[in-house]
Amino acid sequence: MAKTNHSAAVEAVKDTIYRSCLLMDDEHWTGWLKLCDQDFYYKITAFSPEIRKDVLYLDGDRAQIEQMCELLPKHNTDHSPLKRHAVVYTVDVDDENSSARSVTSFVIYQNMLDGVNSHIDAGTNHLFAVGRYLDKFIISDDTARFITREVRLETRRLDKGTHWPL
Amino acid sequence: MARNEKQWNTHPDQNKIEWADSRIYSDEEIFEEELEKIWKKVWVPICHESELPAPYDFRTASIAREPVIVCRDSDNKIRAFLNVCPHRANLIERRPSGSFKDGTPSGNPKNMTCMFHAWQFDMKGRCVHISRGEEGYQDRLKPKDVGLRRLRCEVAFGGMVWVTLNDHVEHSVKEWVGSALDCILEPIEAEPLEIFHYHKSIVPSNYKLWHDTNSEFYHDFVHYHNRVTGFNDAYFARKNMTFDNGHVVVGSFEVQYDQYEGFESREALSFPTLPPNNWYMIDIFPGINYNLRGSALRVDLMTPLSANEVMIEFRGLGLKADTEEERLTRIRHHNTIWGPMGRNLHEDLLSITGQGVTMRPGTEPRHILHGRHENETIHDEVGMRHYYETWSQWMGRPLHNPINRPSVAAQ
Repeated sequence: MAKTNHSAAVEAVKDTIYRSCLLMDDEHWTGWLKLCDQDFYYKITAFSPEIRKDVLYLDGDRAQIEQMCELLPKHNTDHSPLKRHAVVYTVDVDDENSSARSVTSFVIYQNMLDGVNSHIDAGTNHLFAVGRYLDKFIISDDTARFITREVRLETRRLDKGTHWPL
Repeated sequence: MARNEKQWNTHPDQNKIEWADSRIYSDEEIFEEELEKIWKKVWVPICHESELPAPYDFRTASIAREPVIVCRDSDNKIRAFLNVCPHRANLIERRPSGSFKDGTPSGNPKNMTCMFHAWQFDMKGRCVHISRGEEGYQDRLKPKDVGLRRLRCEVAFGGMVWVTLNDHVEHSVKEWVGSALDCILEPIEAEPLEIFHYHKSIVPSNYKLWHDTNSEFYHDFVHYHNRVTGFNDAYFARKNMTFDNGHVVVGSFEVQYDQYEGFESREALSFPTLPPNNWYMIDIFPGINYNLRGSALRVDLMTPLSANEVMIEFRGLGLKADTEEERLTRIRHHNTIWGPMGRNLHEDLLSITGQGVTMRPGTEPRHILHGRHENETIHDEVGMRHYYETWSQWMGRPLHNPINRPSVAAQ
């Protein structure tokens, strides 16, 4: 019985991660945030060998990220869609099957639209970023909700950057 | 009324409106000449001293395609050298940063070692070991003959490590910068600073276009927060001031962060002596930018790669004495505007990328206007005019006719 519950918890975590990727690919930020707990905390980090330090590129609680997303239409931005390819490597569920940690490897491609010269570049794909999602979840009713997400980037050459969560 | 080709190509009246021929941004010959006449002659900061905090730490970079290494000696002095082995011109150190305290596969601790043939150099640039030297060179070549090429190096203005390829540079860094950084000198030198942010961008645009963006604020229309909440009387009274050697200061005003959605006052963590929520921007010729917004210092260092490509390294700095909590707050203040996912940086980079599209090598020459006069206040383009006056002097090329040959389009 416990094994079944454990398996269900693992599947719930994977389902939430993959759904979040699809929602973020579609720039459906509210849909993504619905997968997150009210206490959700998000950050983008990297280790910089250039300065030999961990660096924090963006962070915020749920309300801050929500507000940031609400303001997106008011910014001038590169609208070239970012598309994720993610593979969940590990899911570690606690003994009560009520929380979990996961490690997901991802690459993010930029499908060029208006970022440089659309006549030439639109439709071209570039590799935008490489890294891992380090996630924590709470699990109830066979559903996993994000408590924290750390986007741990290997990429530190970010060129024009982006206004969007990764 | 839209203009026909002749009208479009007719030069603006120089006496009425200042302008530049866009080939200063797109011509490969001009770019190569800029490297020789400007970038190889001036002082360029390449990192912050806190990036090499301990003896035997090093940091590598490049200036005008020349590989450079700076390292901290046991006496804590930072020295700079060409990162080129005098033997067969291999790159000596390949890492972006690190320490020579430990040995390497080919070399001893506390030395720089060229892994190719294991020649070793100390932190003063002296060659201390030639592998099988006597067997190969007998008495014809000794370690003392093959030291590294030392470069002039000074730590100045908030702990930045400045280097020049020019042995005969006329000025010290302080003389070169002059009083351009006086407005933030006390805040950035009252106590040691420490780097907390680094990322880089390589964008398809000319380096001067980034410097232009940093020296004119007329482009604030691109930024949501500046556009919606920043345009008040104090903002429009902000002065653009010019200094010797092509440097420009965009004067300060008090930013109303409480009117920025999702932002907070920077007052509690203001740099020492800086009035709360003030914001100074200083542009140092030919492509260095200091930007102090209340609680965080940003320094942009440019490495021009070609006429249409530039690498910009973005650094964020706080006070070395920060508590963990203070540092985190400072980083957040920095990131909301200037991080790679910040609100303003992306828009600025997007803007110069668009300019890079229309002014890539081989495109028709265009008239780039910088003729706004508003009593040298924030939307006055006096900063650009001052920069290009200096640029023209260094290059010996007039802005409106930088190339004494017809454009490709005209041919």
